[in-house]
Amino acid sequence: MAILETKNLSKAFGALAAVNGVSLAIEAGTLHSIIGPNGAGKTTLFNLLTGTYRPSSGSILFDGRDITGTPAHRVAHLGLARSFQRTNVFPAFSLLDNVWVAAFACGPSWKGLLWRRADRYPEVGARALAALADVGLADKAGKPVREISHGEQRQLELAIALAAAPRVLLLDEPAAGLSPEETRKLVALVRALKGRYTIVLIEHKMDIIMSVSDRISVMHFGSLIAEGTPAEIQRNREVRRAYLGGVAA
Amino acid sequence: MKKENILLLAAVLALPLVLRPAIASEIWIFAIFGLGLNLLLGYTGLLSFGQSTFFGSAAYVAGWLLKHYGIDVFLALGTGVFVGAASAALVGTLCVQRSGLYFIMLTFALNQLFYFVAYQWTTVTGGEDGMPGIPRPAFLGIDFSEPLPYYVFVSALFLLSLWIMRRIVESPLGRILQAIRENEVRAEAVGYDVARFKLLAFVIGGAFSGAAGVLYAMLFGIVPLEAIGFVTSGNVVFATLIGGSGSLYGPIIGSFVFIWLSESVSTLWARWPLLLGVAFVIVVLFFRGGVVEAWARFWSWRSSKQKI
Repeated sequence: MAILETKNLSKAFGALAAVNGVSLAIEAGTLHSIIGPNGAGKTTLFNLLTGTYRPSSGSILFDGRDITGTPAHRVAHLGLARSFQRTNVFPAFSLLDNVWVAAFACGPSWKGLLWRRADRYPEVGARALAALADVGLADKAGKPVREISHGEQRQLELAIALAAAPRVLLLDEPAAGLSPEETRKLVALVRALKGRYTIVLIEHKMDIIMSVSDRISVMHFGSLIAEGTPAEIQRNREVRRAYLGGVAA
Repeated sequence: MKKENILLLAAVLALPLVLRPAIASEIWIFAIFGLGLNLLLGYTGLLSFGQSTFFGSAAYVAGWLLKHYGIDVFLALGTGVFVGAASAALVGTLCVQRSGLYFIMLTFALNQLFYFVAYQWTTVTGGEDGMPGIPRPAFLGIDFSEPLPYYVFVSALFLLSLWIMRRIVESPLGRILQAIRENEVRAEAVGYDVARFKLLAFVIGGAFSGAAGVLYAMLFGIVPLEAIGFVTSGNVVFATLIGGSGSLYGPIIGSFVFIWLSESVSTLWARWPLLLGVAFVIVVLFFRGGVVEAWARFWSWRSSKQKI
């Protein structure tokens, strides 16, 4: 069953149709990748799914419920968490506090919000630490963000999304700007998360996509032009033309 | 007991010995005002240039009730806290819709609006003449019209305010507000209604400003028109920045420096604001964290010297 579905989803900025009539169904438990050239509308699609933008038309269904137009902060509580293409963390905080903030947001209750000391929420703290451990940063929990490398910041980015205990993870180019070594580490991480979460992945690096995805959707100029298994996508002529400009096809 | 607490208690006990109790009271009152602003400025990253709206409104309403209905000091205080919070809710609802410069200008513009209401509504506020004749009614036989008992009252309330503010900044709310300061987009994405939280910070800040406003009105027995003017709004921002907006104690130190300078140096030298201007420039250029940062840097510099 599809856990996340869009029907004819469109978003126009003035005359530009950034996302144009996209109908997508993400099956629960799968890793579904969205690829496409720069400017194809992938990140805009994410912004629509997470409520950052309101769609111009069309609808979004999460777990069978219509969530079209739900604001971003409420979408997070539904169990839809995202990571950002550009590292988007809380710079002055320690790693643990970064993750803690996300864990608290989606925690079972906000009791004591104004009064109880933030370190007196053992189960939020434990979840935050677990999320850091999931991305391999548990030993650096107390460090401030500025003292960790870019690669580690990308891992932290992921941990913040995980701390919300989501049902669907939207990952926007988690390996952006990473060295080959760091990329390998991150791919291993994504692979480890596969099966625990439903994952929607935007990525440019084809080798990553082909090796981890269950299904792939291809976007081009705001529209979906193909969908299928990695093998099907690799054979698809239209995809090769969109990606390679018809040169190597 | 922690070092800060001992220092604070010592300051509370020693201050009336070295300064006139009225000035000592004013320092703690202004510190309460600064604590409220700092929740916005230091913790949430919102520069409100209209804090005197809440300070002045509370002073006028509670002052009126004290003067005409003879309410007791605690009821006056409660009224002030409520009026401060309610006016902040009103102003905040409008302001949090915008951010950056527009936010600052909105807080300022609404402050001016309140100012001109107070200016024109002379039958109640006394306009330019202010609202004089505000009593300090006795409570349980304690005569607050004497400066020293009133000082004790004010400083106890200051310690209470500080304790409450410390609880707030150490609570999840404090951390969420700092998260909003650090990265609004991410805070929204992880599930916080940023506008609502900003409004909450505003209301809490307003409640502190309101308490300070009432105490101020009772201290001087008058609500001057300036209590709701932009100079008062500016002064509290100024004092907080000089003390250090990055720390819980910054506004307290700022209040001390500000009030002490304005009360003691002003009698010697009419151009004393010049000194404040110089202090402000030094802070902005070299010590963005104010006196608190300068102090920390001095000690780390000294200890590094001693090691060699």
